Amino acid sequence: MARSILWATGCFGLFLGGLIMQTQPVAAADAAASDGPTLFADKGCVACHGEDALTGLDQGYPRLAGQSATYLLEQMRDIKSGKRANGLSADTMVPILAEVSDAEMEVLATWLATLPNPSQTATAPDKSNEGRKLYMTRSCVACHGKDGRKPIMPTYPMLAGQDPAYVLTQSKDIKNKVRTNGLTNAMQPVMHLTSDEELEKIAAYLAAIR
Amino acid sequence: MKMLYVSRVAMMAVSALAVMALATGPASAVDPQKGKSIGEKGYVWNSGGGEQDEALHLKPNVENGRDVYEVCAACHLPEGWGQTDGTFPQLAGQHYKVTIKQLADIRALNRDNPTMYPFALPSQIGGSQAIADVAAYMEQKLKMNPNPGVGKGDDLAHGEKLYVEHCARCHGAKGEGDNEKFYPRVQGQHYNYLMRQYEWIKEGKRRNANPDMVEQIKWMTMKDQEAVLDYVSRMKPDPKLIGPADWKNPDFE
Repeated sequence: MARSILWATGCFGLFLGGLIMQTQPVAAADAAASDGPTLFADKGCVACHGEDALTGLDQGYPRLAGQSATYLLEQMRDIKSGKRANGLSADTMVPILAEVSDAEMEVLATWLATLPNPSQTATAPDKSNEGRKLYMTRSCVACHGKDGRKPIMPTYPMLAGQDPAYVLTQSKDIKNKVRTNGLTNAMQPVMHLTSDEELEKIAAYLAAIR
Repeated sequence: MKMLYVSRVAMMAVSALAVMALATGPASAVDPQKGKSIGEKGYVWNSGGGEQDEALHLKPNVENGRDVYEVCAACHLPEGWGQTDGTFPQLAGQHYKVTIKQLADIRALNRDNPTMYPFALPSQIGGSQAIADVAAYMEQKLKMNPNPGVGKGDDLAHGEKLYVEHCARCHGAKGEGDNEKFYPRVQGQHYNYLMRQYEWIKEGKRRNANPDMVEQIKWMTMKDQEAVLDYVSRMKPDPKLIGPADWKNPDFE
């Protein structure tokens, strides 16, 4: 049910976003009392992820605009519950998400997915790029799609244009079983194919798609 | 390889949408019900039914099998040789019924394979006809790897003795398996892949395992395991099945 709401709102996100704004005053007790932009600002997300959800406070903060809504929602839930506790999430995100309800996380995920992300259309490095070669041959492309733009499942993240320090932390943490939530169990078994130095090159290639 | 990826990516774009559409239904495609596991009450090895039976009753179309195999080739390589380090197993030369059973089991969540799962979905490769088609393609068109990954090679006589006494009855004198009985061809499989599956079978992690095999191997020590699997990885298939070391699958040139 939650997925079907997500899907529908993902498709008609902008339309629905407008609708929620209009119907805001009649929000039920368990429903989100605000729309995406208001929640994103009021809950403090904006401080680290940037007003456009693309410009992080510092290196290592993920770009969220245009990300898969299903993926975003799963990650927020997992960080809140402690299933995902690697990187900056445990110290930084948990206290913030403690103040965000499940309904509000759904609104945020749905809204973030509708935000423009220039990486979806930017020119990607060509075949001579070392990181691209690795991305194509170490099985990344199979799941995350060409240039990290079209993941095979809505539960897998889009990677195009992602912050390189963030990509590196997450891929190393998945490799070393420090991050074990969600579908990282699909990725962990192939991570030994790629050294940490090679992961850096892949992260740089993905970051260049902006 | 380049063409391979371009068409794969196009397929993925379509299939990603299909997966998302499926995910909207009440029974989510992303998280279907798991089948019974080994050790669980009522578990019957190779109980059949579902897509396994459907595929077994269909006439395979090898030409379509080639198109289906394109998805598999991204990891198992166009030659079906897998990775020498055992990350991905060799598929070349595997029996028709074995491939059908394993693919149907992965799709039905009777065998856990999170890495492969999305690529095995009907939205990605098609229905039970596709299972039959790709199984026939692998068996008929893929020549086997002449240089699989092997073990240390320092305990082969012990390995041979163990194999003859405890494995050959089902997997065959040369590790050739048995299509009719759904027993896999294990000869020339990568050592590290054999090691992983053997451990998962022993621990119950490979949920569609044959209880007879679990019983058969449960007493073996790590030394026994390494010796017997090293021996298996070095067993030579029928020369007719093996390709030259530089063989490239002409279907994906």
